[in-house]
Amino acid sequence: MKITNYLKEKSIQITLIIFALITIEIFLQAYPTSKFLKIYIPTIILSTYLITTIIEYTNKNKYYKKIYQTLNQLEEKYLITEIINEADFEEGRILKEILEQINKSMHENVNKYKYIQEDYKEYIEIWIHEIKTPLATSKMIIENNKNETTKSINEEINKIENYIEQALYYARSNTVSKDYYIKQTNIKDIVNETIKKNKTTLIEQKISINIHDIEKDVKTDSKWITFILNQIIQNSIKYKKQQQPQIEIYTKQRKENITLYIKDNGIGIKKNELARVFEKGFTGTNGRTTNKKSTGIGLYLCKKLCKKLGIAIKLDSIENKGTEIQLIFPNSSYIQMQ
Amino acid sequence: MQKILIVEDDEKLRNEIEIFFNNNGYKAETLKTFNNTIQDILQINPSLILLDINLPGADGQYICKEIRKQSNIPIIIITSRNNEIDELLSINYGADHYITKPFNIQILLAKTNSILRRSNMGKIQDQINAKDFIINLSNSTIIKEGKEIELTKNELKILKYLTENRNKIVPREEIMEYLWESESYIDDNTLTVNITRLRNKLEELNLKQLLETKRGQGYILK
Repeated sequence: MKITNYLKEKSIQITLIIFALITIEIFLQAYPTSKFLKIYIPTIILSTYLITTIIEYTNKNKYYKKIYQTLNQLEEKYLITEIINEADFEEGRILKEILEQINKSMHENVNKYKYIQEDYKEYIEIWIHEIKTPLATSKMIIENNKNETTKSINEEINKIENYIEQALYYARSNTVSKDYYIKQTNIKDIVNETIKKNKTTLIEQKISINIHDIEKDVKTDSKWITFILNQIIQNSIKYKKQQQPQIEIYTKQRKENITLYIKDNGIGIKKNELARVFEKGFTGTNGRTTNKKSTGIGLYLCKKLCKKLGIAIKLDSIENKGTEIQLIFPNSSYIQMQ
Repeated sequence: MQKILIVEDDEKLRNEIEIFFNNNGYKAETLKTFNNTIQDILQINPSLILLDINLPGADGQYICKEIRKQSNIPIIIITSRNNEIDELLSINYGADHYITKPFNIQILLAKTNSILRRSNMGKIQDQINAKDFIINLSNSTIIKEGKEIELTKNELKILKYLTENRNKIVPREEIMEYLWESESYIDDNTLTVNITRLRNKLEELNLKQLLETKRGQGYILK
């Protein structure tokens, strides 16, 4: 609250007071009164006014200044109504009441959307739940009727399966609710599960697997991390090179973290595209030109899920040499407490 | 023959699983109504139960809990619910395995085999008698007329798989998938090397003629 602005607002009052003082002075001059009264009356009026104005100004100034300070310190600014004190002047009380009402209405509005989103997520979960049975049945029919045609259908069903998984985790990644369950998990189990899941494709594409030093425990949600790893492996398969394709998986233990490396010798990513690989919908030259039909969702989701789980994900790549992904699990017990 | 009971409300799926297990050396049975699921299961008294969670009437986790009160029949849960909490609950209620749909049937078969092998421990011998020779699984050797030759882990698995599929052409990919299932991720070249070594070892027992290469198709143990 600037003093000049404050005084400007009071300009009518001040003009009136000055006008009143002048007329009083004229009257006092016109009638025979003592010199003392001629000076005393205007002075007392003026000083009373000045004192009350100064008190009022400091009071209000203190109050609003406090609000601004708290507001600046707050991360979630809308919480301000919970923190500010009741003002001892009417305008302040009115302001607080207005803020409280606005806040309440805003909360209701936000909750409405939260509810809609939660509801939609639940629908997606149910839908995915439902579609898994016909998928499982199809795979069983294929298994019981093995031939070239069903083998080809099986490949397509595997793709559908992956898209469905993505949809599920996309829905999960967008909600505020906690869907994951952190517990002690062995990296070896996760890696083996993912490799086995992709074994038919890996064998068919003649990709050799080199796994070492993965006997490590981390604290994470095994289902989520399996999904993330599966996305990474599928990328390695998708963007493999033709001659002697290879995927190497290993961990390194450091003082403050355990890092899981997934390294392939595939076609790699252009240097100027590296910064954007985690962006939603980014497909890059590889995704557009090599007939791979990239959706630009996989890595985006990985990053998002990693963030929720408190894992760092890093990607490094040299074109025509290969890609290396690091999943960094912090050692601290912090995520456990979240 | 070991009896496997499929408790799944989707008719088509349970029929397909039934066909699959019948084709793979088991006697599969299914439940068609779910009014007295627990009593029905106990009456059939199978060697192993494949149990869905979402069932009309009592749900799978409840059934699992109730059966455990009265019996030790191995239970594999098959469900669409893909989250840690349901898995933990099921295991706590006494399930032996938790597999999510759409599942890999070969993994299901492998898990079934291994559970049944464990629960039959003692009854099943750790030797496979293949007429011309004997495979000793416990010390990884192959025996013929008192002569014993040691096999490596992979050679043993390959020979075991070929013996189980005797007189059938087994594609290379199928052998590799079988080995990958037990976490030895060998590549094409390694398989060739393993087969050659295995053949040399068979030769020492004068059994070389048993293992034939079908060019472009795979291998066959005659």
